[in-house]
Amino acid sequence: MKKCNQNIQNICDYIDGELDGSLCEEIDKHLKECRNCRIMVDTLRQTVVLCREGRQEHLPAEIENKLNDALRRKWEKKFKK
Amino acid sequence: MDEKELVKRAQSGDFDAFSRLITEQKDKIYRLALKLTGNREDAEDIVQETFLKAVDNIDKFRLESSFGTWLYTIALNNVRAHMGSRKKMTLKPIEEYLPSGHSDENTHTQLFDWGDPHQLFEQKQLDQIIESALAALPQKYSMPFMLRYMEDLSVKDIARILKLSLPAAKSRILRARLALREQLAEHFREKIDEKV
Ligand SMILES: [Zn+2]
Repeated sequence: MKKCNQNIQNICDYIDGELDGSLCEEIDKHLKECRNCRIMVDTLRQTVVLCREGRQEHLPAEIENKLNDALRRKWEKKFKK
Repeated sequence: MDEKELVKRAQSGDFDAFSRLITEQKDKIYRLALKLTGNREDAEDIVQETFLKAVDNIDKFRLESSFGTWLYTIALNNVRAHMGSRKKMTLKPIEEYLPSGHSDENTHTQLFDWGDPHQLFEQKQLDQIIESALAALPQKYSMPFMLRYMEDLSVKDIARILKLSLPAAKSRILRARLALREQLAEHFREKIDEKV
């Protein structure tokens, strides 16, 4: 029996769909036989999904305006307008 | 006008060209800083410092990388400078995040299957859990992880930005992912235990 965890270094590539060939098949095969590794792979996948679906924050307008003013001042000083 | 042309104009003193270059980057850098620091005020400071530094150094930018990548590099340096001494969790070696056993029926080695977290928490609560889990990671791990999965950069680009070897970048991304998974599993398990 193939040991668990031996392909751990490539597990991100596997989950992210960037692994092909025999290694990929080997992992597929192991996952069919091993519940623990299935849970590991599934929860690692979900970890990234959850991180990606977080809210889309925007720089507050007031900070952006302040920043734009500061940038313009710095720019004019730098290029001596 | 393409990026190259905008950069050339900016470097010769055209502020409007510079403004156009950074328009879309402001929110991106803000989000990245917010996730790395877990704190709005810090993130706002980091955004300001990043773009002011970009003005200072605009003539040093050589088109070897994209303008966005160059900004990330500046932003990450600012995050490091800003957050340098703050305490973060310590990550374990990779093996310690893994279940030790084989697929036997021994319940001690069974991993916790958290199912669908959306059944446990509102989206807003989930966002908060994720945010604090990310912010708790040391930056050397959270940075490559976020660049990979939230900014969709390739491992190669991440290695270049963070001045790491390819295997080192890959390994840090994996450790971050395992550590986050474990933090989430703990949260979700607590919630499930509460319900029972
Ligand atoms: Zn297994």
